[in-house]
Amino acid sequence: MNRLVSFLLWPAIAIIGAFSFAALALGRGESVNAVWLVTAALSVYLIAYRFYSKFIADKVLQVDPSRPTPAVRHNDGLDYVPTNKWVLYGHHFAAIAGAGPLVGPVLAAQMGFLPGTLWILAGVVVAGAVQDFIVLFVSVRRDGKSLGEMIKMELGPIPGSLALVGVLAIMIIILAVLALVVVKALTASPWGLFTIFATIPIALLMGCYMRFIRPGHVGEASAFGVALLLLSIVLGRAVAESPSWAPLFTLSGEQLAWALIIYGAIAASLPVWLMLAPRDYLSTFLKIGTIVALAIGIYYVAPKLAMPATTRFLDGTGPVFSGKLFPFLFITIACGAVSGFHSLISSGTTPKMIENESHMRLIGFGGMLAESFVAVMALTAACVLDPGIYFAMNAPTAIIGTTAANAAQVISGWGFTITPDMITQTAKDIGETSILSRAGGAPTLAVGMAQILGQALGGKAMEAFWYHFAILFEALFILTAVDAGTRVGRFMIQDMLGHVYKPLGNTEYLPANLLGTGLCVGLWGYFLYQGVVDPLGGINTLWQLFGVGNQMLAGIALLLCTSVLVKMKRQRYVWVTLVPTAWLLITTLTAGVQKIFDPDPKIGFLSLARKFSDAAAQGTVLAPAKSIAEMQRVAFNNYLDAVVCAFFVVLVVAMCIFAVKVCMQALKQANPTAQEIPPLAGTQGALA
Amino acid sequence: MKAATEDDRMAELEVNHSASGAPAQGGFRERARSLCSACRQVFGMPDYERYLAHAAQRHPGAPVLTPSDFFVQAIERKYGKGGARCC
Repeated sequence: MNRLVSFLLWPAIAIIGAFSFAALALGRGESVNAVWLVTAALSVYLIAYRFYSKFIADKVLQVDPSRPTPAVRHNDGLDYVPTNKWVLYGHHFAAIAGAGPLVGPVLAAQMGFLPGTLWILAGVVVAGAVQDFIVLFVSVRRDGKSLGEMIKMELGPIPGSLALVGVLAIMIIILAVLALVVVKALTASPWGLFTIFATIPIALLMGCYMRFIRPGHVGEASAFGVALLLLSIVLGRAVAESPSWAPLFTLSGEQLAWALIIYGAIAASLPVWLMLAPRDYLSTFLKIGTIVALAIGIYYVAPKLAMPATTRFLDGTGPVFSGKLFPFLFITIACGAVSGFHSLISSGTTPKMIENESHMRLIGFGGMLAESFVAVMALTAACVLDPGIYFAMNAPTAIIGTTAANAAQVISGWGFTITPDMITQTAKDIGETSILSRAGGAPTLAVGMAQILGQALGGKAMEAFWYHFAILFEALFILTAVDAGTRVGRFMIQDMLGHVYKPLGNTEYLPANLLGTGLCVGLWGYFLYQGVVDPLGGINTLWQLFGVGNQMLAGIALLLCTSVLVKMKRQRYVWVTLVPTAWLLITTLTAGVQKIFDPDPKIGFLSLARKFSDAAAQGTVLAPAKSIAEMQRVAFNNYLDAVVCAFFVVLVVAMCIFAVKVCMQALKQANPTAQEIPPLAGTQGALA
Repeated sequence: MKAATEDDRMAELEVNHSASGAPAQGGFRERARSLCSACRQVFGMPDYERYLAHAAQRHPGAPVLTPSDFFVQAIERKYGKGGARCC
């Protein structure tokens, strides 16, 4: 019976998927329904999970359900806890899914919905889910060790240290770009800023409740936290409409950047139970709820995709980010297709909670498929918008100017007809004064979500509410990431400083703590501020730098997986990790080199820096800069970006050389040389 | 000697299975508790009763953490070093 169901079910899913793709690909000249896009994605996920992940589990990794996992061997009821696989799936998903899959796809929508969709689907099946699954496997077989430790074990101490420096650099860029997304969303938006600000007292209240009144009652605290959040959105409208309160919450980009930098420094120094933990619970609550609501909303409303399948910006002249489809699409959409950062989660708490090796397939591979689905929905929400509105929100002021009339004229000139009235009406519908140049994904997604959820629930009148709900939802987990990331960064910096001067490495020593926190905040704060004042937009530089860094980390994690497979004498199947590794190296090295050296100043950091410093030397001011000092700053920042990008390129090339050396040595050996915990290391032995 | 270790491991596995958040057999109260605990674990909050069961089985007679100490420590361990968080 089971076999019969399976025999009928999988061809049916394949046919539904093929039909959906046909609807997407053949619907020329008329707009396609978003339901086809989402259905096509779901069919791909189901088939990839059923067949490809099973192949990886059974043949490549030879997962062994009888082999005790770290959770079983070290079970302490606290950290190492065998956990039900569906519970752990939820936990793992909440840990991997952040703002990344919501931002990249929205930016990539400038090329149309098809290129982004195809890369998200192909990328997740071939690279992203494979990376998450195999890193999880490698870590479970090594007592839940972290990525850095595993690289040290399997590739050697130098690559291990290099990887740690790389992770720190990527972390700094991520924090800066995420904070920049928040700045772009909240600039001159008193309603938005008030609701985000309100999350601070709400979190403090929840923190105290869980500490002193009802310890451990996360659900209760989160439920009343969410209720207060919804109330703060309602109050936000009153604040925005009040002539005395609104100016207090109307900040410029620079003011917001400073506010975030100060917030980051304070938040990361408070006890974790007071703000970080309750914020994280709130954001997990909203994250899961909103994603489910959006999926239901798309099926219920069945909106049409207003964005064409492909646009003229495939040629690299797009206003949102510059550069051709290859390689820039593949670094713009990182999370959702493949995200190097997941290798840190898959080698963090998750491997310590796996109950049985057979669960890793669902949690590692399946967890990433769920994140990919979030990316597909973000892309859908952006493509449901009128393309004119999409470009008005995402093109920098340097291109479309600062008035609705000017923006409408420029955008209509690209072939996306829009009137100034449509732009101002959209701003009015969502309760904001302007929607122009709010790059960074969050606002665009919020308008798309507001239209979808508004149609499902509440109509036009509720659009402003849903818009601010969506902004709150994204800003909440970005701010949690800023807080947690600053702490992680501080520990990494202290660890490194400890090698130079021992007392600085002591995490209990207050001056050393303050120094570490200050350095970490100062580093991401610098990039954030640079992005905010960058007259060319900021997001289009920083996001690509982040994309290069994140994909490089994925490349490093996959190089580790490849080396481990070779050391396990499974070289027959090494293509499973080698193909995505090669693709990531090709795209990121091409993108990295182009970002540094391309002669077009829209793409190359060095040529833009040279253009501005040469002009400054001759005393000419180039638009959009307004003074010689501003020109010099643009030049300096671009030289700095080139250095960071070059660091990523050199790092990944070095890791590649180390990995090749290790693989060559392992191939010469007759027996497996991977350093796994032996299967028979029983509970007693491991505890001794 | 080896057989004994193996037996211990099997016993351990059984205990884990019964307390791992899977729908428990028994009355409505037990089911509700199990569901709440599963939700809390999704948020990253470990299960106190499972910790108690574990402590009773592995370290009988030894002092155990009170619920509030247990939760305070759980938050400290999860977030103390920041906790890797994704983009």
